[in-house]
Amino acid sequence: MESTSVVTSKGTTNAVGKWFRRNLQTSMIIIMMIVIWIFFSILTKGAFIGSQNISNLFRQMTVTSILAVGMVLVIVTGGIDLAVGKFAGFVSVIVAFLQAFVWYKLIPDQPLLAATLSVIAGLSVGILVGMLEGYIVSYLGVPAFITTLGFQWIWNGAILLVTGGRTIPANQPYFSYIAQGYLPLWLGWVVAAVVIAALFYTMFNSRAQKRRYGFATNKLSLDMAKTIALSLVILFYVYMVNQYNGVQVPVLLMVIVAFIMAYLGTNTPFGRHAYALGGNMEAARLSGINIKRNVFLIFVLMGLLCGVAGIVLASYVGYGTISAGGGYELDAIASCILGGTSPLGGSGTVFGAIIGSLIMASLTNGLQLLNVTPAWQYIVKGAILVGAVYIDVYFKKNR
Amino acid sequence: MTEEIILDVQNVTKQFPGITALSNVSIQFKRGEIHGLCGENGAGKSTLMKILAGVYPYGTYDGSVFYEGQELKLTSNSIKEARAEGIAIVYQELTLVPDMTVGENIFLGKEITENGVINWDKTYAECRKILEHYKLDVNPNDVVKHLGVGKMQMVEIAKALSENAKVLILDEPTSALTEAEIDKLMEILESLQEKGITSIYISHKLEEFFRITDSITVLRDGKTVITAPTKELSLEKLVSYMVGREMKERFPHSTRKPNGTIFEVQNLHAIDPEEPSREILKGVTFDLKRGEILGIAGLMGSGRTELVTTIFGEMGKITSGKMLLEGKEINIKSAKDAMEKGISLVPEDRKKQGLVLIQSILNNLSLPNLYSFSKTWRIDKNQELKSCLQQVKNLSIKISNIENEVNSLSGGNQQKVVIGKWLMTIPKILIMDDPTRGVDVGAKYEIYKLMNELAEKGVSIIMISSELEEVLGMSDRVMVMHEGRSNGILDITEATQEKIMALATGIA
Repeated sequence: MESTSVVTSKGTTNAVGKWFRRNLQTSMIIIMMIVIWIFFSILTKGAFIGSQNISNLFRQMTVTSILAVGMVLVIVTGGIDLAVGKFAGFVSVIVAFLQAFVWYKLIPDQPLLAATLSVIAGLSVGILVGMLEGYIVSYLGVPAFITTLGFQWIWNGAILLVTGGRTIPANQPYFSYIAQGYLPLWLGWVVAAVVIAALFYTMFNSRAQKRRYGFATNKLSLDMAKTIALSLVILFYVYMVNQYNGVQVPVLLMVIVAFIMAYLGTNTPFGRHAYALGGNMEAARLSGINIKRNVFLIFVLMGLLCGVAGIVLASYVGYGTISAGGGYELDAIASCILGGTSPLGGSGTVFGAIIGSLIMASLTNGLQLLNVTPAWQYIVKGAILVGAVYIDVYFKKNR
Repeated sequence: MTEEIILDVQNVTKQFPGITALSNVSIQFKRGEIHGLCGENGAGKSTLMKILAGVYPYGTYDGSVFYEGQELKLTSNSIKEARAEGIAIVYQELTLVPDMTVGENIFLGKEITENGVINWDKTYAECRKILEHYKLDVNPNDVVKHLGVGKMQMVEIAKALSENAKVLILDEPTSALTEAEIDKLMEILESLQEKGITSIYISHKLEEFFRITDSITVLRDGKTVITAPTKELSLEKLVSYMVGREMKERFPHSTRKPNGTIFEVQNLHAIDPEEPSREILKGVTFDLKRGEILGIAGLMGSGRTELVTTIFGEMGKITSGKMLLEGKEINIKSAKDAMEKGISLVPEDRKKQGLVLIQSILNNLSLPNLYSFSKTWRIDKNQELKSCLQQVKNLSIKISNIENEVNSLSGGNQQKVVIGKWLMTIPKILIMDDPTRGVDVGAKYEIYKLMNELAEKGVSIIMISSELEEVLGMSDRVMVMHEGRSNGILDITEATQEKIMALATGIA
């Protein structure tokens, strides 16, 4: 969470400690992730932290992460969406169906146009269904839990109808690029350079703005240290994945989605209203917030993100299958909760949800590397979810 | 009354990170007395009560508490222990389960069972016995949510007493009660006194201390200022002990001159949209002048809150009558509409309706104003911070960091945040529903001063209040409501408590 504290910090260590206490939850989960990574790296004798595995790990988490990022806002407003997994699955079979059976008749030999149209179709379905769900929840007043549970069944049926029980291929090269593509190595470095330049620009710009308003700014050394540390993380990541195939296109997509959603949540009236109405609906209503419209729009956004996730999913597996997206909604919800989103609404961050889903993906990936059977994978993941939330509860109580 | 000491607090100090909530507090409570405890918000009353009730167990504070001659050593699961020892607390916020009956509530957590199954006949019989013993007029089979606040309070007391309490702590028991209910509560406390039960009575309504208590302790900044028999104290003395300075007047002087009508309500009727057969407003007519403070008096349930929330577009569905703003008829459908037309509402219940408690002071202040800090769709956070800090300064809200949770502030400062967030919308008409409820004397005075300043600047204020002194002390005119109707408007020069009560009860 970004902090605009007006109190200047005495020293860097002091400031770090303060940040740690203020963002206890975020710090805890980052520490937990590091512990899990070290643990797996040791057990797999370094294979876990190898460039190929890191590259795969981040690619594996994209679909869940995109769903989790939308789920944060849904849970923040006090709702839940149980349909996202199967909805993304439905989008994935629709996209596959269009490619396998429709485009080749309508627009033969135009693979780029076909891929583009598939994406547009997927996103449109996402938005339209999001609008429908949002309308039912917010204007017709059916609880989100029930509405989305119903939709989960509806998607189960719809997927069967579309596929007829078959597996539909979705593996044209252009389309596959979305979730299986890699940026050329040099382009990866260019992206890193641009992002780092943007970080420094934002940092200096924000300091200038603060001064213009007459606020005390953090020590320059502190801001520099933060920005440099972040830049090093980015450079290290690009270096790692460039050792393998390069920056993964879906990961880039996920980062962009997460950034937009985080910005929307904290820097726009729409986002802030969502947090307020999740924290106290009555106070939000009396503050002139249009609750129904806000909840409606959150579902539209969630629908759009299901569209994105469905497209990535189809491209990632290369098929539309009847089991597509099953259980993803629970992964997304778990990622949010692990990342500090309150199940009661009112608080939660996109960043936390991303780390949460990275932890979930790391567990799956690490356990697979260790040849742990799926049965035990589930048991370990379940235990860690409950344990992690307990640790959080414990620290909050004994703060 | 014997002079035996039942509860002896000796040199108790309680520290929280960065703050000393109690420092060397010593108070002696005698058996069978009614002991008033007063102090401004943040003076340490709640902390002291939490130590006595076992919320903060033995060892988390310094000093000692002796109960019937023995040192009280409550361990970590101590709320139950304290209750078993005979110290019971009735909290300000009622803690009953609304959907359960009186009997179920009273025996909640100590159900009468036989072989693990609840014996309901015995439960209700016991319950009836307790209620009769303490002369509480409540039916054990009634569902709590259908009771009035006054009866709920009685159930709460019965629940506390059902474990043979010897010390009963009442934390602001009258803040939501009507005059008649307060009278009833006073009777109950007196009858408990006859049975030898000690009551510790916390309230912000100082007059009540003189009606009921035998002695009073004043706390200020975590220290005991004085403990004295009530008959040796006066209202003025009490106030000066509380604030640490002489307070000559409870209501500040104002030089405002209301002129010209800004807002008119004509024969307004409204129904409850959830329950269309229920008419919540049955004909309200009044006018509001520019720069005027119009007080609205009336008993609980007279439709005061319903009136202002309906005007604000958030409660009743208007069936007939009209509202005129600056001579033009207006139609308000939501809070947003009202705000756009320059009407703001400081709601009745700051925790439920006014604040998002888990958010920061900053976020709460800026909530209704986010669009005004936004260029296109992006919030200018520096502008937001600047405006909110300015508002904190204007209202002298005492904060350590604007990023802290609003929940960390005292009641008075929380109320100022609620007022502040609405003032930032720059209203022409500010509606304040019980603006000083649960606020201490010092903060009350500051809120009154603020209201006067606003009125002098030409803002028109509609103030609902449950305290007649406040209505009389602050208003230019008083509208009295009775059963959903405006039952008369009195000019302040002719208004008296008796006249207002006569209109409010429908005698006049």
